Amino acid sequence: MTLSSQMIQRSPIFFCLLTIFWVVPCVGVTLGLQTHQVTDPLGRSLIVPVAPVRVVSLAPSLTELVYSLGREEMLVGATLYSTYPVAARDLPRVGSYVRLDLERIIALRPDLCLAVKDGNPHHVIERIEALGIPVFVVDPISIDEIMTTVVALGKLLGALPEAKALAADMTARIDRVWTLVARADHRPTLFFQVDAAPMISAGDNTFTGRLIRMAGGENLAAGPTQYPRYTWEDILRLAPEVVVITSMAGGHQPEDLIGEWQKWPQIPAVRSGRIHVVKADFFNRPTERLVQGLEVLAALIHPELFPDFSDHHLILGATRP
Amino acid sequence: MSEQLTGGKHFGLATRLFLLCAVLLFILAVAILLGLGAGSSGIDLREAWGALLGQGEAVEQTIVRQIRLPRVILAGSVGATLALGGLVFQALLRNPLAEPYILGVSGGAAVGAICGMFLGLTPFPGVSLAAFGGSMLVLVLIILLAGGQAGFRKDSLLLGGVMMNAFCGAVIMFLLAVSHSAQVQQVLFWLMGDLSMITAERLPTLLLILPCFGIILALARPMNLLLLGGESASVLGVNVRLISLLLLATTSFMVSIVVSLSGLVGFVGLVIPHIFRLILGSDHRLLIPACILGGASYLIACDLLARLLSVGGELPVGIITALIGAPLFVFLLWRSGR
Amino acid sequence: MNAVQVKGLGLKLGGRQVLTDLSLSVASGEFCVVIGPNGSGKTTLLRLLAALLVPESGKIELFGQPLGRYSRRQLARVLALVPQQAPTDFPFSVRETVLMGRSPHLGLMAFERATDLALAAEAMAFTDVSHLADRRLDQLSGGERQRVIIARAICQQPRLILLDEPTAALDPAHQIKILDLLERLRQERGVTVIMVSHDLNLAALYGDRLLLLCEGRADRVGTPVEVLERARLERVYGCTMVVEEDRRNGFLRVSPVPARYRKD
Repeated sequence: MTLSSQMIQRSPIFFCLLTIFWVVPCVGVTLGLQTHQVTDPLGRSLIVPVAPVRVVSLAPSLTELVYSLGREEMLVGATLYSTYPVAARDLPRVGSYVRLDLERIIALRPDLCLAVKDGNPHHVIERIEALGIPVFVVDPISIDEIMTTVVALGKLLGALPEAKALAADMTARIDRVWTLVARADHRPTLFFQVDAAPMISAGDNTFTGRLIRMAGGENLAAGPTQYPRYTWEDILRLAPEVVVITSMAGGHQPEDLIGEWQKWPQIPAVRSGRIHVVKADFFNRPTERLVQGLEVLAALIHPELFPDFSDHHLILGATRP
Repeated sequence: MSEQLTGGKHFGLATRLFLLCAVLLFILAVAILLGLGAGSSGIDLREAWGALLGQGEAVEQTIVRQIRLPRVILAGSVGATLALGGLVFQALLRNPLAEPYILGVSGGAAVGAICGMFLGLTPFPGVSLAAFGGSMLVLVLIILLAGGQAGFRKDSLLLGGVMMNAFCGAVIMFLLAVSHSAQVQQVLFWLMGDLSMITAERLPTLLLILPCFGIILALARPMNLLLLGGESASVLGVNVRLISLLLLATTSFMVSIVVSLSGLVGFVGLVIPHIFRLILGSDHRLLIPACILGGASYLIACDLLARLLSVGGELPVGIITALIGAPLFVFLLWRSGR
Repeated sequence: MNAVQVKGLGLKLGGRQVLTDLSLSVASGEFCVVIGPNGSGKTTLLRLLAALLVPESGKIELFGQPLGRYSRRQLARVLALVPQQAPTDFPFSVRETVLMGRSPHLGLMAFERATDLALAAEAMAFTDVSHLADRRLDQLSGGERQRVIIARAICQQPRLILLDEPTAALDPAHQIKILDLLERLRQERGVTVIMVSHDLNLAALYGDRLLLLCEGRADRVGTPVEVLERARLERVYGCTMVVEEDRRNGFLRVSPVPARYRKD
């Protein structure tokens, strides 16, 4: 009989302690190291941990979604403009989403990275994967794809019920807007200004463009170009009935942005005082806030149908008629 | 000081060269160590040294060997090549304002790279090859323009180069004006010099610059004579036309290679040769090794600064070299005027 | 074998016939001075001899070998050219400049050996610039600079030295100094000297053989007495001249005559 077996026979307490301090952690670690194969929305097959503990988000929209799913304790790093919710500002930074800092990402020892196809530099993603870290890449293009992205993320991060609930809520609110808008008899023409000098608007193939359509407006910048440019000459001809300007447009004050338009009283929107400045983040990020943006946009286009949204905090400035 | 001329000078030059190389190699070693030991994720020289040798944590090893090491090697190679390129062109064109981009290499490479980016090519090998192709095309055009009869008249070369750069500049402005904002950012980073894209597999391309260094080193003495002017150099036995062509082609080739990997890093080729000329005099047998080793250390240090100062995603190294290089150059001008 | 043998040389530059049917032979160790009015082709002749220009017609032979058969390096070991003006912005010291004369004898990457350094020291002593060895070229006076370039030429150990108006910017004392130096080279080392000069008096004092060029043609080749004839000079230069012989030393003195002294 060896010494240890003697000890075990003699001391059940010892045996229990052994189990607790040796076996359980081993099992726990093994469980933690457990991985499984998933397919990301781009169709790529990845090996990811079952329960990720160190996740780096490579885009602000993804950071928002992780918080929406209640899984923020997994996050160990995010990109520069991950500013919503406010708590995200404390996350360690890994560069901006178009200029990722590879060294900082690696130094955070992530077991999973979340990326967007449109924006994150492809070769940096490849290098991260070459160093053994799986990168889950999403590419939400249409509004429906935002829902599927939310569910896919939920499944990835072990938050499937929350994800499904969020998607359902978003879908419901979108449907409500859709139904209300269907009652409107007129589709006002709308010019959505994204940038000043040069004047840039959003085409069909953007979230903004889709929102405009769903909110019951007619996007004057509709067309194949994603972000077409306009001169004042073009705009005078287009004669928009409603003008919505995002606060990102060149960093100007809302009054200045509106003031530029008021130089042209021939434009219907100027005459009727329907020029509004809104917070940009609610109109271009594929997150829950996009639905809020939709509701506000619908209210701006059809104020008679959406009375409770007229004084929404998203609206930064408006002209008085 | 009046030293005995017989034997004294001979040992003087060889000894000076040896001492120079020893000092500069030491500085280079320090620069490399610092470059490996510090970065945007923190500074720890001991850990970095260990990581290089294969000890320590896996993360640290990955960072040092696969992220920082290729970058330091690239920075050193680019710095050495640009400094040497500036030196050669300053001798060839007998113009202190000459720098490695002056003969159209930068314009051609930029147009090639931007076209590559617009076509959606990957940084390696796509955009790289496009940049290299662009600069070689411009070089051939300039040689054809300036070739002429009685050998390379430096004024024709200079004029041709400046013209090509101006033309390419206009093309670049046009391409930028019609591009999307995301592309514009990518282009701007390339134009400012960007060492962050390098991976270990791409490093062997840099071996191509070594034979170029060798050729230029071998032509050190004729380069001294070129400063006398074409005719006087001829009379002293230098085949001016052949040597000029060889220097031009070799230098443009090696500068094109590094530009295709790193974008347009400016001010290195202009400032480093002048600094060493102030310290060492004009003998190219000393200046060539000095520019190679000194240029390498300088850019490794600048790149280190760029990485340490990075806030929202890295600073292009070209900004650091410009911020340091421009005032330094003004200072040098002031000093040499005294 | 003559040092220089030129036959029927002709060259057109920029549409103008600069030299026509020029023939000349200079023996080894001779001091030949090329004189003539502005634009008569003197500098062009030197540049042709140094293989900086290619003639359209005629032959040039140096020491029995056609010029075309010399490689650049071989030629630089045989012939040295002292241009009219030394470059002023040359950033090297006197010693370094003189050492460059050893270039044609050195291999590609070679450093100068002790023998090269000794030759440079000797050349500098010969031209009396040793005390300036560490000064930069642009810190020297015109005369000193000229001597440095000659020292460099001597360092090449040439058998033939070509000089383009070496005394043009020098004061009389320095003029004599330089020419005495060349004379010494000739006597002590048998170097052949071909010099272009405007100064007819210096030509008379030093030249063994004079070549008078007129509009690209050789008007007369010969000794100073043969060439410096008053009628000939007046024809070629187109102005009134006085030629006299120094009674004590026997050398010729040539002076153009100003208007107020002319009888006609």
